[in-house]
Amino acid sequence: MNKLKTGFIYTLLSMVAFISLFPFLWMLISMTNKSVDISQGRLLPGGHLFENISKLFENYDIGSALFNSFFIAVVATVLCLIISSLAGYGFEIYRSKGKDIVFNILLLSLMIPFAALMVPLFRLFGGISQVFPAIGIDTLYAVILPYVTTAFFIFLFRQNTKMFSRELIEAARMDGLSEIGIFFRIYMPAMKNTFAAAGIISFMNNWNNYLWPLVVLQSPDIKTIPLLISNLGSGYSPDYGVIYTAIVIGTIPTALIFFFLQRYFVEGMTGSVKG
Amino acid sequence: MGLKLNRSIIGWFFASLSILLISMFYFYPMLQALILSFKSGMGANLEFTGLDNYVRLFNDPVAMIALRNTFIYLIFQVPFMILLAMFFSVLLNNPNLKFRGFFRTAIFLPSVISLVAYSVIFKYLFSTEGIVNDFLLKLSIISEPIEWLMDPFWAKVLIIIAITWRWTGYNMIFYLAGLQNVDKSIYEAAKIDGANSIQQFFYITIPMLKPIILFTAITSTIGTLQLFDEPMNITGGGPGNETLTISQYIYNISFEYTPDFGYAAAVSFIIVILTVVFSIIQFKIGGEKD
Amino acid sequence: MKKWKIIFTAILLMVVMAACSSENQSNGNAEGNLEPDVITAWAWDPLFNIAALELAEKRYDQVDEDFQLEIIENAQKDIVQKLNTGLSSGTLNGMPNIVLIEDYRAQSFLQAYPDAFYDISEYINIDDFADYKKAPTSFDGKQYGLPFDTGVTGLYLRTDYLEEAGYTPEDLTNITWDEFIEVGKDIVDKTGKSMISLNPNDPDHLRHMIQTTGQWFTKEDGETIDIAGNEAVKQALQVYKTMLEEGIAKTNSDWSSRLADFNSGKVVSVATGNWMTPSIKAEESQSGKWTVVPIPRLSVDGAVNASNLGGSSLYVLNIPGKEKAAEFLASTFGSDNDFYEELVTEVGAIGTYLPALDGEAFNQTDEFFANQTVTADLVEWMKEIPNVNYGMHTYAIMDIFTGELQNYRSGKDIDEVLNDAQQQAEAQLN
Repeated sequence: MNKLKTGFIYTLLSMVAFISLFPFLWMLISMTNKSVDISQGRLLPGGHLFENISKLFENYDIGSALFNSFFIAVVATVLCLIISSLAGYGFEIYRSKGKDIVFNILLLSLMIPFAALMVPLFRLFGGISQVFPAIGIDTLYAVILPYVTTAFFIFLFRQNTKMFSRELIEAARMDGLSEIGIFFRIYMPAMKNTFAAAGIISFMNNWNNYLWPLVVLQSPDIKTIPLLISNLGSGYSPDYGVIYTAIVIGTIPTALIFFFLQRYFVEGMTGSVKG
Repeated sequence: MGLKLNRSIIGWFFASLSILLISMFYFYPMLQALILSFKSGMGANLEFTGLDNYVRLFNDPVAMIALRNTFIYLIFQVPFMILLAMFFSVLLNNPNLKFRGFFRTAIFLPSVISLVAYSVIFKYLFSTEGIVNDFLLKLSIISEPIEWLMDPFWAKVLIIIAITWRWTGYNMIFYLAGLQNVDKSIYEAAKIDGANSIQQFFYITIPMLKPIILFTAITSTIGTLQLFDEPMNITGGGPGNETLTISQYIYNISFEYTPDFGYAAAVSFIIVILTVVFSIIQFKIGGEKD
Repeated sequence: MKKWKIIFTAILLMVVMAACSSENQSNGNAEGNLEPDVITAWAWDPLFNIAALELAEKRYDQVDEDFQLEIIENAQKDIVQKLNTGLSSGTLNGMPNIVLIEDYRAQSFLQAYPDAFYDISEYINIDDFADYKKAPTSFDGKQYGLPFDTGVTGLYLRTDYLEEAGYTPEDLTNITWDEFIEVGKDIVDKTGKSMISLNPNDPDHLRHMIQTTGQWFTKEDGETIDIAGNEAVKQALQVYKTMLEEGIAKTNSDWSSRLADFNSGKVVSVATGNWMTPSIKAEESQSGKWTVVPIPRLSVDGAVNASNLGGSSLYVLNIPGKEKAAEFLASTFGSDNDFYEELVTEVGAIGTYLPALDGEAFNQTDEFFANQTVTADLVEWMKEIPNVNYGMHTYAIMDIFTGELQNYRSGKDIDEVLNDAQQQAEAQLN
């Protein structure tokens, strides 16, 4: 009976994994084919990998696009993890009627489609450009700023803080730790799986962000990966081989981040509270 | 008392930077969008028209179709995906399972896919002569090919399949992280009391994960009410307007047609109102005590 | 937990370092736009529009060697979004001096942002350009656009399939769409191929069918909706449905499968704009098997065998540097015959500047098309394209139509379809 159950679970997971991974397999195959074959749905690897790669690197500055995307994603993620977790922690641990109201108001900011905010936000950054051109329109900081803290992550941290043991805090207070010390030395290490999850999601969101960077970045030398991929498809006769090559290169960083951070989702990693 | 007040201020201090930044980059533009929603006109020629946009909205057949479609996705897709994500996270949390890392990565990866690849591949797989139809025909599940992209019903099913494919792994992450925060000793105690794994799931895991379930339910609802990528890239809102969502309609009013940003803002605030209503309901069901 | 701290510190350090290095980068750009030393241009398609701008810059070096043009490649939909966001927010920071806009969208930009574009009437002579380009590129008596890319249509045919069915390209030359369907049925029977590939979710064929009659979805003012009782619109829908029902058309669901349908030899013909030529030629093994004949017309009085699909023009924004930008465009795209000869030879772009079109370079034969003088033929048809004011609502109406086409295919009466489309359009676009 148990064997049957185990067999069923493995079969199910393998099928799900296949369905999930099939499009990625297709991407990998397509980056080795030439455009005409790809649009005809060729499912076999071809011999055009190096040609596609060299075409991509010769015609497009993919190196600087990778750097820009990486810079945006890392800076936004690191800041977001600190600022949002502080807020999520603050709202839950020092809960009060007033804070609950403010928290609910903050959630409102998630509820409007970004397309509706774009024009006012662009105007805001137009104003910022007049005073601080270094963080205004056409800079990487303008891409990052609206994402250094979002209600989504504050909400995530607050919900996870609900599962955090208050006894640990009381014990730390007894030991004479300051409130900020408790946050950094007790809470952060204990919640590292939540930080890992938030880190993955934030990195991915920022890496894949399209609409806002599109609008706010103008110069060709500060494009991000999604903008570059969008450009590749801009022609009347797009070269799908090159497009897939760029897509694969653009997918690798997020996949790697996930791969390295997923060990925090393994049971038995928690429990150690010492900083 | 003094200590408590002091801590309350520390709490505000912890949240202050977030409050400041969100006010600046979200609430200020939101307020401007609200003002904009009382104006109408092409591009830069905006005039104050009071509530006209909102009246127009309720008489706009396309907006109503978009609203209907969005509700269909919401009702059928969100509960299904959340259950699925929870199911996978519990399966993959089992320390005795082999290749966990591989399965986890496999299920998560769809959420990192590039939109270009996403749209091309789904259209290819689900075209009338595509692999999916081939497969279903061979298994005799269907007797003639399904017109996934051309049929109003199946196009909606396709959108639901696509969202589920892309976002289940994303939601699974929150559960996996949440599961690590559950106190292991509770399970040990339950085992000693003779609870089997199904009982453990319903009587321990689900109640313990309640905050996370609430989080994914609300954020998925928000995501679905703002659904854009899938209809835009896979079906283009078609056939007809049968898969069009409100967000795509907002995009069309702002960029695809001669822009009327005032009307687009008014449509956006319908999403805001709906999301608020749904979130309040979910908070109540989720048993958040104030 | 030390390891964790080290990783964290390392990331922070990297961020700080990266921050410093990118600071220098962004400073230079932020000022780039106050200084009209460099003229910027936004366009899409590297093989076509971008290449044309590059060529123009190279030639303009002889006129003004200090002139610097920065060409920024953006996808068309990206340009539309960036331009709309920038212009409507009133923040002209970062807007380009020159921008390429599709003709169908031009009126919507010109009328939605009245002060945003620069009147170039004095820089070019609009009568030098193909007639059908005038209405989309001008507004209120002022000339804003420099007509560039043509979307002249042709019927691309597989001669080997025709031969197999016992036909010659002449049998499909200067015919109506009804005749196309008749001949098509026979060819489909004999070859087992489809005659044409259509995407009912993006029925762009309707647009070039209707333009053969010189009519549009709106009256000449570009605003009054003209759908109910419009014979051209009615016929186009009927032809479209018949092609799908009679089995002479197969369906595709996106751009890539549309290309695949002709590259893999599934269809006998492609009815589209001349910009499709490079995609057709991409399948080198089909060299010599293609020819191009004039596009079929609708059976409406006055309809001609010439039409347009897509096509775009260059616009100058009303910001510092506008005179410089206009002079550059006028002296290249606006008057330079040699430029256009070089353009057709090197880039394969035809343009719509009439004085250049009789040049030697336009009479080259093309091996892929069995030594047909394809370019010269397209130029001839281009001169015949009826002048149509696309107005501001082409894409909004197309979306309404796509919905109604769906209803029509599932059995709704044609007149009802047209009346409903008329009502919807009036309600939505008042």
